[in-house]
Amino acid sequence: MSIRREDVLHVARLAELDVAETDLPKLVEQMGRIVGFVEQLNEVPAGEEAPPFLAGPGRTPLRTDEVAPVPLVRPPSAIAPEFIHGFFAVPRLGAMEGE
Amino acid sequence: MSGVAAIAEGVASGAAPAAGVARETGERLRHSAGLNATLHWSQGLLDRDAARIDRLPIEERKALPLAGVPVAIKDNIVTTDEPTTCGSRILEGYVSPFDATVVAHLKAAGAIISCKTNLDEFAMGSSTEHSAWGRVKHPLDQARVPGGSSGGSAALVAAGVVPAALGSETGGSVRQPASFCGVVGVKPSYGRVSRFGLVAFGSSLDQVSVFGRTVDDAARVLAVISGQDRNDATSAAQPAVSLEPARKDLKGLTFGIPREYMPADLDAGVRAGIDLTVKAIKDLGGTVKDVTLPHTRFAVPCYYIVAPAEAAANLARYDGVRYGQRRIGSEGDVRALYRATRGQGFGAEVRRRILIGTYVLSSGYYDAYYRKAQQVRALLADDFRRVFDAGVDLLLTPTTPTPAFKAGEKTEDPVAMYLADIFTCSLNLAALPAMSLPIGRSGGLPVGAQLVAPMFAEARMLSVAAALEAALDASREVR
Repeated sequence: MSIRREDVLHVARLAELDVAETDLPKLVEQMGRIVGFVEQLNEVPAGEEAPPFLAGPGRTPLRTDEVAPVPLVRPPSAIAPEFIHGFFAVPRLGAMEGE
Repeated sequence: MSGVAAIAEGVASGAAPAAGVARETGERLRHSAGLNATLHWSQGLLDRDAARIDRLPIEERKALPLAGVPVAIKDNIVTTDEPTTCGSRILEGYVSPFDATVVAHLKAAGAIISCKTNLDEFAMGSSTEHSAWGRVKHPLDQARVPGGSSGGSAALVAAGVVPAALGSETGGSVRQPASFCGVVGVKPSYGRVSRFGLVAFGSSLDQVSVFGRTVDDAARVLAVISGQDRNDATSAAQPAVSLEPARKDLKGLTFGIPREYMPADLDAGVRAGIDLTVKAIKDLGGTVKDVTLPHTRFAVPCYYIVAPAEAAANLARYDGVRYGQRRIGSEGDVRALYRATRGQGFGAEVRRRILIGTYVLSSGYYDAYYRKAQQVRALLADDFRRVFDAGVDLLLTPTTPTPAFKAGEKTEDPVAMYLADIFTCSLNLAALPAMSLPIGRSGGLPVGAQLVAPMFAEARMLSVAAALEAALDASREVR
C-alpha cells in the first residue's frame, strides 16, 4: 500500500507532531518504503500459528502492600519548571484554547 | 588499561587506590574527546566517588566486587549526578531525581560512574549518527561508524577508556556496536536486568546490556546489575547471573548454526570468522550442527512494526507538559504546544519512527500490521524454542552481515540501516540472551560472532564465550 501526503499529515495529527512542509516529500517517500518493506509479513499465512508469546512474566507479580518512599535525591519543587502549593503548575489549558 | 577484576583487586588492597584510577580515567576521557563518545562527565565527580571508595576500611573495600572500577553509562539510563538527554534536544538539561536500579547496583558495588555516553536519539539507530550532539566515530577508523545505538559506550570500551560500560538493547544496540568495535557485548534475557530508570523505547524489547573489553569484564558487571527488582514488574523472579569460570573444553555441548544466518551474500570476512569459530568449537570438543529458523527473514519487518508501535506510545510523554523542553506553538492552544514541542524537540529518525508506529496502530491498519506482527513474533520465538528443545545448547551466528560501514552510507535509506540489525533483532523479539564476541579482523576491522542461549542461560553462554575467547586471536586477520 502506498503512503500519500494525506496519510503522513493524518498520522502526524494523531501523534501530535508538527511536520514541516519542506520535510513532507521525503517523509512520504521514506514512509512508503518502510511500509512496503514491513508488508513482507503478508507472506506468512494467516493460519500459521504458534503459542501466544509474551516477553515478560506470565502474570504481573503482586508486591507486598507496603508503602515505600520514592528515593528522590531532590524534591519535586526542584524538578518541575513551576511547583506551587504542592502542585506541578502547567500552562492553563482553558486559557490557551481561547477561553 | 587493566580489566575489571584487576582494578577492583588493586583498589581493594590499596595497592592502586581509586584516586589514581579516577585521575587516569579522566586523562583517557580527555584524550578520546575526538570520538565524540561522551556527553557528560566531570573530573570532580570522578575524584569524589574515588575518594568515597578509598576512605572505606580495607575489609569493606574487599567486599565490593567493582571497587573503583570506572563504568560508562549510556545516556538513556538515568543518573542523579549528570544529565540524561537520550541524545535528544527535547531532554536537554534534564537531570533525573533518582538513579536507575542498575546504576544504584553499580554504585553499591563500588563502581565509579565515569561518564554518560553518546547514542542514537532515544536509542533509535544502528550507527550513532542520529544523536542531536553529533555522530560518534569508530576508534579504529574515524570515517566509519561504531554501530549503534550504544555507539558511545562501545567506542569508549574499544578505545580502552573504560573496561566496561552499560548500553541498552531494543534490536541489537549493544551486540551490533560490540561487533563493529571489537569488544564483548551481552544482552541478557528479557527480565533478567531491571528496566527501572532505563528510558523506555520498546518496552517488550528493551534490556539494559553490558560491554566489556573481555568476557570476564562484561560478566562481572552483569553479575552486579542483574536480579529481580520490585520497581520493574517485568523483571523476572531470577537470581543475579552467577560468575562461572571459563570452560576448559566444550565437550558435551551442541552448537546449532542456523542456515538462514549464513546467506550466500554474507561478507567474506564475516564468513571466514565464523568458519574459524566453528573450527575452534570442534577443536575444543564441541559438536556443531546445521539447524533452521524458518521465519528468520520476517524478523526485521516484524521488529519495525513492534518497536515503532511501542515507541510511539512511550514517547507520547514528551509533550512539554509531562517531559520535554516546552515550546509554545504559533496558534497558542495546547495542541499547538504539544506539536511544536515534539516537532522541534525530536530529530528526524525519531519523528519518522513515531509516525510509522502511529500509522501501524491507527484505525483500519492495526490488524494488518500490528496484529500480524504479533503473530509473526510468536512464530519467531517458537523457531528458537524448537531448536533448543531438540537438544541444541547454544546457537552460533554472525553478529552482523558486514564489518563497520562508512558514516553517511545508510543515513538516507532507513530500510538499509534497519537491515544492519538483521541477525540481532530476532533475539529481542524472542526475549533470549545473546552476546557478541570478537573473533578476528577483516581488512583491519573487527568481526564478531553471536552466541545465543536458552532463556536465563547467561552463565552457560558466558563460560563458553570465555573458552572461545581464549582459543581465538581476535586481533588476527581472518582471511
